Amino acid sequence: MRRRITDSQYKAGKEAPAPSAADVLLYLEERFGLERALFSDYGLYATSKGRIYIGPKRLVNHPRIATVGLLIARSQGAIKPSTNLLQLFGRQVKKNYVVLGRENAATFIGGTDVKVTSGEKGDASDGYVLVRYLDFSLGCGMLHGSDVRNMLPKAKRLKIAYI
Amino acid sequence: MEPRIPERFRERYLPVVDDPDAFLACLGELTPKSFRVNTLKSSVAEVQARFAGYGIGIRQTGWCPEAFVSDVPELGGTLEHFLGSIYLQELASMLPPVLVRKELETARLVLDACAAPGSKTTQMAAIMRNKGMIVANDIDYSRIRALKFNMEKTGTINTIITNQNLLHFPAQLQFDAVLLDAPCSGEGTIRKTDSVLQEWSERVIEGHSHRQKQLIVKAFDLLAPGGVMVYSTCTLAPEENEGVVDTLLRERKDARLENVSVPGFRLSPAIMEWDGAQFSEEVSKVARVWPHHNNTDGFFLAMVRK
Repeated sequence: MRRRITDSQYKAGKEAPAPSAADVLLYLEERFGLERALFSDYGLYATSKGRIYIGPKRLVNHPRIATVGLLIARSQGAIKPSTNLLQLFGRQVKKNYVVLGRENAATFIGGTDVKVTSGEKGDASDGYVLVRYLDFSLGCGMLHGSDVRNMLPKAKRLKIAYI
Repeated sequence: MEPRIPERFRERYLPVVDDPDAFLACLGELTPKSFRVNTLKSSVAEVQARFAGYGIGIRQTGWCPEAFVSDVPELGGTLEHFLGSIYLQELASMLPPVLVRKELETARLVLDACAAPGSKTTQMAAIMRNKGMIVANDIDYSRIRALKFNMEKTGTINTIITNQNLLHFPAQLQFDAVLLDAPCSGEGTIRKTDSVLQEWSERVIEGHSHRQKQLIVKAFDLLAPGGVMVYSTCTLAPEENEGVVDTLLRERKDARLENVSVPGFRLSPAIMEWDGAQFSEEVSKVARVWPHHNNTDGFFLAMVRK
């Protein structure tokens, strides 16, 4: 279960400590080719648990903010991009993506790990990748050789009938 | 088949509805499956093309280009649902953001006062193209998880969630637009929710009405001068609708109602007298949605300007 983010973890109008937010932006640019300008209209906010959120540029002064915008990455140790981020900005991803066929895509959406051919893998290197079907961004996977480990949140997994 | 409707429910509404037989017959049928295209993730044309490819018949409504009705119930099993490109939502529930679409397109700060599970929050964020800011508030922490999930699924960025009793909301915050989709007895959702009739009583209605009158005054106080508020419910009860708006007009002299109009959607006039009480003439500007007129849930809409 997701822990509640306490009020004190957000400060109105105060963005995340620069290194943490900067690290995530640098990672997204280097790993996926997502340019910083994509996020320039928004603010980045960090929690003490190493979660990075993208939200409105400035927050209102409210004593009981429960959460802000969209979780884009977790950064305990290695940075892990969220499926929500990759779905929303997936069309701007320029590298480190795999493109699944129809059957594999349905399997992946259902929450199962999949294997990719060299054609599906393209130039992607081991590590977190965007998983695509046609030009649809399905979410995050972890590529290791020809294996794509399923990183979809459990709540998002779906037995798909129409794809 | 008609649901088991309490006799007192019939006594209240059959005299004021235009076609009692159609009304009762409609309550026995499920609402059609409907969805909204989430323009933060896709486009109407793209979704239409994909559904045509599936062989799923969908019909665009005449009053909201993003709103569709489907012949097929399994919309939850589509790729578009997985991606958040469509959002399953009852048609009448899409009306409040549609009503203030123009205001939302330029709004900088918007309050969704009772936001969970986020259907209207995410609809407003799409209209705002993720610009400006929405404060999505809900008093019930257990419902915030669903609100958060729907925000993430739809790619809603311009929103913060607050968890507070609206009556205690900081008075210094002033919003360009406020949506108060108030907790209510839910009579309008009888078609899909059996428990509404099981729990139905006039005492429940009175309880909601009392709270709604407090909420509408507070929500109005959070509105910036020139700002607009939509008050909506999914109930038919005048005590929770016209009666609540009437209370606001009596308690806040700077509150002005605007005519509610959604071109292409059939709206019905207010009930101006109920249980011996006559409402202010101004209340005639609100609108009711009877389920059998548009094959939707029952609904109520008022638009207030400060």
